[in-house]
Amino acid sequence: MAGVPVPGDKRVFMTGNEVVAYAAVAARADIMYGYPITPQNEVMHYWTRLAPKYEKRFLQTEDELSAGFTTIGGVMAGRKAFTATAGPGNVLMQEPMAMAEMMRLPVVVVIMQRGGPSTATVIYSQQEVILTTFGGNGEGFRIVYSTATHQELYDYTIKAFNTAWRYRFPVFLLADGYQAKMREPLTIYDPLERGIELIAPEAYLGRPGTPGVDRPPGHFRNTYSTEEELYEVLQGHVREYERIWREVEEYESLGTEDTDLLIIAHGVVARAAKQAVEYLRGEGLKVGYFRPVTLRPMPVDALREAVSRTKRFMVVESAYGQLSKLVRDALYGLAVEMVPLYKPGVGVTPEEIMARSRELIVKGES
Amino acid sequence: MKDIRIVEAYVGEYASGKSEVAINRALELARTGRPVTLVDLDLVEPCYTLRPLKKELEEQGINVLAWETRDAVGLGETGNILRAEVPWALRRPGHVVFDVGYGVGGARTLDLVEGIDQEPLFRILAVVNTSRPMTMTVENVVDYVRNLGPVHGLINNTHLGDETTADIVQQGAQTVAEAGRRLGIPVVATTAVAEVAAVIGPVDCENNPVRVLKRYMPRAFW
Repeated sequence: MAGVPVPGDKRVFMTGNEVVAYAAVAARADIMYGYPITPQNEVMHYWTRLAPKYEKRFLQTEDELSAGFTTIGGVMAGRKAFTATAGPGNVLMQEPMAMAEMMRLPVVVVIMQRGGPSTATVIYSQQEVILTTFGGNGEGFRIVYSTATHQELYDYTIKAFNTAWRYRFPVFLLADGYQAKMREPLTIYDPLERGIELIAPEAYLGRPGTPGVDRPPGHFRNTYSTEEELYEVLQGHVREYERIWREVEEYESLGTEDTDLLIIAHGVVARAAKQAVEYLRGEGLKVGYFRPVTLRPMPVDALREAVSRTKRFMVVESAYGQLSKLVRDALYGLAVEMVPLYKPGVGVTPEEIMARSRELIVKGES
Repeated sequence: MKDIRIVEAYVGEYASGKSEVAINRALELARTGRPVTLVDLDLVEPCYTLRPLKKELEEQGINVLAWETRDAVGLGETGNILRAEVPWALRRPGHVVFDVGYGVGGARTLDLVEGIDQEPLFRILAVVNTSRPMTMTVENVVDYVRNLGPVHGLINNTHLGDETTADIVQQGAQTVAEAGRRLGIPVVATTAVAEVAAVIGPVDCENNPVRVLKRYMPRAFW
């Protein structure tokens, strides 16, 4: 039986991990490779519960290095393949993902961020932002969607496969332990019923015909003997990544036209930021909200535009300046003051953001 | 109810609402004036469910057997762990409510409780939310409950979080009741938060009593 577990549009109550598994089935993913790690375990649990009914496959590997490389293998065999991990697993996966980047392989990786180091909390953080956007010995040629709601987890899991197979760069869905474990309503649906095209995978290896006679032989290299050779290949990737940048970038903003304070946040923290901004605007304060949905590529033009219309901006995150590194890089040359609100490893509430915003605007503090 | 000792275990699908239903049941029983013990039997994620609520619940007069943050070192994925008092919970006086870890594996942890097979009124209650895709249809619920092992009653805990309406709960009541008929297992109650319960009335459309729930779990980690 192919298709989706629940026909039609259905309002449901789920945890984030389950949402990812159901969305992967709806995206017609073929196989998941994985190794258990909290807080993403239920992605695997639910995928394996659904897999037999929908002719899907699953392979539990011996670790995340292997999970990453086997996902690459699945992709090269022409399967829509994905994996999911967190924290230390994400560290190990940077090795295979750096290879996938150079080989332009459409792997999909779901990350549920937790607090570092590897033996630290299994619960939550936003400490895997730099790791996920620029990890590995490469140039960060990957696409990273930072989700904020269960609906987005569903929508962007489906989208991640399309983006990966359209552009042939690794795609990460970056969420966190809170999103993984919390429960909220969302609408699940069959993308095909909604007219969403699902890009078909194609095999890199094992195509018909005699290589070198009927077709050019496939030569998928992960080895570059000289610096110049690597440089040349990278130049191609640079051009392609920059070409697709503006097609791929996504953001959400609110009231950024003319503000005393612009609040910048991503992921689950952006929910608190948005709520705080809506409330403060209701009080008549000139506060705006900007949320990059893609952390890589960063929506640079829109971000610069929003920041150029504010007196100062505040970066709010559950890390000690990881989002702000990406933001400041995008804003190079703009002379606007930045105020940090860093809460590494813990959640941020709308009340905290509102309190700090009032200090900054009403009392004129810095 | 004053003289009867109630011993109940809440089992069911992941995120079906076991902890919420168990907490509310324990508080309801505490209002009878007898001691009540609420036991966290989740061995895999023991410090994330009841633990953040332990103090608050104890202030309301129930005895909570759950890990505290300062005790919780290396829980979860480092291995299963049982709090030392938990196997002896039934030696305590009064009512005992078990909040069992999720799924079929969770239901089996009840075997670890000393004397559970000798409790005359011991009941295992399966909590079902038909807004959860795994338990959305009558067939799903029947298959799922069959896998849980012995179950003495079903609880219709159908809801959609903040979007819950009386209609959603009543549709769940119908699905759970039909599943119960096919399984030969009675439905013990339907649950709903006060605003929704007020619309439904004292019994649901299947004539099952409505237990009013106060939501504690949004304050827990998960």
